[in-house]
Amino acid sequence: MPHSSSPALLKPAMNSRRRNWPWSRWTAVASIAGLVWLGLGLPGGWRPSVAIVVAAGPKLPDMSTPQAKLKALEYFRQQGPWKTIKHTGALTSKDVDKSLEYEKKLPDDRYAPLSDDASFMRRASFDLTGRPPAAPDLLAFVADASKDKRAKLIDRLLETDEFALRWAHFWRTVMFYNTPVAANRLDYGAFEDWLADMFKRHAGWDQITAAILAAEGKKKEVGPDNFILACENQPTLLASETARVFMGVSIQCAECHHHPFDRWKREQFHELAAFFAPGKYYMPDLQHPEEKTEMSARFLLGENPPPNLKADARRVAVAAYLVYNPNNYWFARAYVNRIWSELLGDGFYAVDSLGPDGDVSHKLVVNRMAYVFRNQQFDARWPFRLIMNTKAYQRQIRAPKSSDELFTAVRPSRLRPDQVAKALERIVGGDKLAKDVERIFAVDPSVPLADVEGAIQQSLFLMNNPALQAAIKNGPLTQRLSKISSPERLVDDLYLDVLARGPTAAERRRSLEYLKTVPNRAEAVSDLVWVLVNSTEFISRR
Amino acid sequence: MPAFRNPSCLHLRLGADGGVSRRSFLQLSGAALAGSGLLGPISLHADELKKQGRSCILVWLGGGPSQMETWDPKPGTSNGGETKAIETAVSGVQIAQYWPKIAQGLKNWAVIRSMTNREGSHERATYQLHTGRKPTGALKFPNIGSVVAEQLGDRQAELPNFVSVGETIGSGFLGVHSQPFVVQRPGALPENIAGTVSPEQLKRRLAQLTDQDAGFAAAGAKQLVDEQRGLYAQGARMMLSPKLKAFQLDDEPAKTRDEYGRSGFGQGLLVARRLVEAGVPFVEVHRGGWDNHVSVFKSVEKLAAEVDQGLAALSNDLVARGLLQRNLVVCMGEFGRTPKVNPRAGRDHWPKTFSVLLAGAGIRGGRVIGKTTSDGMDVDADPVSVEDLFQTLCRAIGLDPSTELTSPSGRPLKIVDGGQIVTGLFS
Repeated sequence: MPHSSSPALLKPAMNSRRRNWPWSRWTAVASIAGLVWLGLGLPGGWRPSVAIVVAAGPKLPDMSTPQAKLKALEYFRQQGPWKTIKHTGALTSKDVDKSLEYEKKLPDDRYAPLSDDASFMRRASFDLTGRPPAAPDLLAFVADASKDKRAKLIDRLLETDEFALRWAHFWRTVMFYNTPVAANRLDYGAFEDWLADMFKRHAGWDQITAAILAAEGKKKEVGPDNFILACENQPTLLASETARVFMGVSIQCAECHHHPFDRWKREQFHELAAFFAPGKYYMPDLQHPEEKTEMSARFLLGENPPPNLKADARRVAVAAYLVYNPNNYWFARAYVNRIWSELLGDGFYAVDSLGPDGDVSHKLVVNRMAYVFRNQQFDARWPFRLIMNTKAYQRQIRAPKSSDELFTAVRPSRLRPDQVAKALERIVGGDKLAKDVERIFAVDPSVPLADVEGAIQQSLFLMNNPALQAAIKNGPLTQRLSKISSPERLVDDLYLDVLARGPTAAERRRSLEYLKTVPNRAEAVSDLVWVLVNSTEFISRR
Repeated sequence: MPAFRNPSCLHLRLGADGGVSRRSFLQLSGAALAGSGLLGPISLHADELKKQGRSCILVWLGGGPSQMETWDPKPGTSNGGETKAIETAVSGVQIAQYWPKIAQGLKNWAVIRSMTNREGSHERATYQLHTGRKPTGALKFPNIGSVVAEQLGDRQAELPNFVSVGETIGSGFLGVHSQPFVVQRPGALPENIAGTVSPEQLKRRLAQLTDQDAGFAAAGAKQLVDEQRGLYAQGARMMLSPKLKAFQLDDEPAKTRDEYGRSGFGQGLLVARRLVEAGVPFVEVHRGGWDNHVSVFKSVEKLAAEVDQGLAALSNDLVARGLLQRNLVVCMGEFGRTPKVNPRAGRDHWPKTFSVLLAGAGIRGGRVIGKTTSDGMDVDADPVSVEDLFQTLCRAIGLDPSTELTSPSGRPLKIVDGGQIVTGLFS
C-alpha cells in the first residue's frame, strides 16, 4: 500500500537517477546490437538521437509457438548487457558489509555479534531448504574446524533439490496469495513443479520471468500458464501484478487516479494494461463509463512495440522490455530486495509496493547488488550466496529499534508456514500435518516480516491438534527419547532434535528437575516435547 | 480518553464547534442518553460501556453491492435497469424488489443513500471501509472491529473480543490481542479447541512453557515472545470456557435456524447473535459475490434471497431478545456500482455513490439519509463520507472517535480522523 511520504524527497531522487545509474550509458550500444525489432533499449523520448535505429525496420522473429517465443527471448538474452559491456561485475559479501557500514557509520558496538555455528546452520537450513538441520549434521558442522565451513554449507544447500522446491513454493505464494481466482481453477502443483525444475536447471530469473509472461495462459496443467490464469487474463490485473511481482512497484492505484508522489501516471498504467489486451484496449472513464480512450501499448519506460504485433507476441515484448531493457533497474532490484528481505527480516523497501525511489533505504547498496545480479545473468542463486556470506546475515537476532539500526542484526521473525510444517515433520514423522499448517499459518509473503502476526488458531493448533498431540504423546521422537536412560543425554537430545541446539545450563537444570518431579517418564518426556514445540523459538527464525 | 477518569460519571463531549466543553452527569443512563440524540458525539467511559454491553455486528457484502439493486433503486429510468422498487413498512420509502423481508421490517432499519468515496479498487476500498482510513504506506490501521475489541472488550475475556465469520482485515498496529478470530465453519466448535490432556497437566506444561520462552525473550526476541504469550493465554482461556457453546448451534431450535436460512451466511448470522449475546463486542459476517460486472440483476436476485432472509431474521431476533438497543447492525460493502448498466447487463466499480444499511444502538429505524440524483450519478443531498460513516458508527457503539490509539512508532492516531456524525440517524 504504497502511498508515499515526502514530495521533497522525490525530486532529487528522480533527477539523479539516470545519472547515477550505469546502465543508461549502455542504451545506444544495445540497440545497435540487435534488439532492433522492438526498439528495445530506446526508451521513448529519452534519446531521440538514436531513433534512427528503429527506422531501419523491424524484422519480427517467429513467435507462433511457445517454444518459438522462448527462442526469441533467448535471442535477446544472448545480447544481454553482460555480453556487451565491460563491467567490473565483482561484488563480494565483504563489499556489501562495508557499504552497509559506510551507509550509517555506526560505532562497532551497535552491531550484533555473529551468531554461533548451530544458530547459523539452523538459519541457513531453514532459509535454503525450509527444514531445520538434522541432529547429526548439526553436530558434525559444529565440530568441523575448517574456516570456510559456512560458505561451504551455503554452497551445498543451494544445490539441493529442496532449495529449488522451497523457493518455487515461495514464489507461488508471492504470485497467487491474493488472486481473485478460485484455487481449483489454478494448478499450484504444476506451477511449483515447473518453477522448481527451472531452479534446478539453473535457469536465470530473467528466463523464468520471461517464460511466465510469454506463456499462453490457457491450461492450468502447464506450469507457467498459471500466472496469467491467476490474473484472469485481465489486462489491468496483469499490468498491476507484473509490476508488483517482477518490479516490486505498486502501480495499481494508478488504475483509477494519478498519485501525487508516484512516478507512474494513470495513462502509463493503462498503456501497460494495453499490452495484455487481446484486441484494442480502452482506458475507462470512471465518471462516464461509455466514454473511453483507446490506449496503445507502451511499456513503463516508454518503449513502443511495433504496431503489427499480435496479442501473444505483445506479451513477449513485455517480457523483453521488463527483463532486458538496461534502464529497467526495478526488475533486478525487486528480486534482490525480495531475497534480502526474507533473509534479513527487513527489506530495503516494501517488497512489492515501492512508490518513489526516495523510499529506498541504503539505496547504493541495493542498487549495486541489483546491477551485479544482472551481470551475473540473473543467476537466481547468486543473491543468496552473496547475502548469506555477509556478516549482516550471520549476526545474532535483535529487532531494530529505528531505521538507523536496520541490518545491524537479523530480525527475529515468524517462520513461514512451509518451515513450520517441516519443523513439525520431525515430531510426527511425516508430512501429514503440512496441509493444515499451510492453512492455519498462512500469511501473505509480501507483508513485511516485522508486521507478520500470529493468531490464536495457531497456538490452539500447536496446543491441541489431535494428530500432533498423538505424536507428542507417543510419536517417533517421544519414543526414541523415552528410551534414553541417562536423563542428561535425554535432555541434550531433546533440545537438539526440537530446537536444533543444545540446552542452556538453566534449561538443562529445569528439564532434569521436571523429569524427577513427574513420576511417569513417558508422560514427562511428552510434556517436555510439548513445551518445546509450543515455545516461541520453535516457530521463529533466529 | 480524559486523563481524569471517574468511572462513576459519563463524559459528554459537545460538538466540534463547542470547543472543549466536557461535562459530567452523575448516574445518567447511557442508553437513554445515546438514544436521545440531542447532543453531539457522546463518549462514555470504556468501563461504563463494557457494563452496558454495547456490541456491533458488521455484515460485509464483499465485492461492492449495487446500490440500485439494494436500497436506492431507480425504477423506470434507463440507469435503473430491470430492477423494480417495492413499498416498505415506512410510507414513502421504496427499496429494490429483491428485498421483501427487509421492506417489511424497514421500521428497524435506516438507510444512507448518499455514501460517497473515491476508492474503486476492491482491496484498497475494503481496507478503507473496514478501518476508516485510506491505505497509506507501511502503517496498517486496525479493522474497526479490532478497535472496538480493544476499547470495549475485556482482555481477560474467555471468548475472543472480535470474531469474524470469514477472512477479514486484521488488527494492524493494535496487535494480536484484538486480531479477528476467524471462524470458517459457522455453527461448529472452532477446530483444535478441545484439550487432549487433563487441566492439571496442561497447567504444568504452560508453567514450563513460560520459563522456556523467557530465555528466548532474553536472547533478542522479546516482541515475538510477548505476542505468543498473549496468544497462548487467550487460547488457554478459550479452551476452558463454558461460553464456547456460543459457537455451536446444536441447542438452537430448528425453527430459529430455519428462519435465518440454512446457508452458511444465515447460520453465520445466528452464530453472530449468540456471540454478542455471550458478550463478544464485535462480530463480522461475510457474504461475497457482489462484484457483478455481468448480469447484475440476476446475480443480486439470487444473493438477496439469502441475505434478505438472514438480515430480517437477525433484526427480528435481536428485537425479540431486547438486544437491538445495544447492538448495532451495519450492512455494507466496499463501494457501489456504476449507475449506467454496461453492455453485459452488469455494473462496474463505482465509489461515487453507494448505500449503507444500519439498525440498532440508537439508530432510528425507517430513516433515509441523503439522496442521489435521478440518474444515480451524483449525490444530490447530504453526502456522507467514509469518515462521516465511521464517526457515526463510533457514536452508535459509544466510542469516542477522538480517542487516540498509539502506532508502533509512538504516533498518536485518532480512531476516526475527520468527518462528522450523521445526526439525522439518531434524532
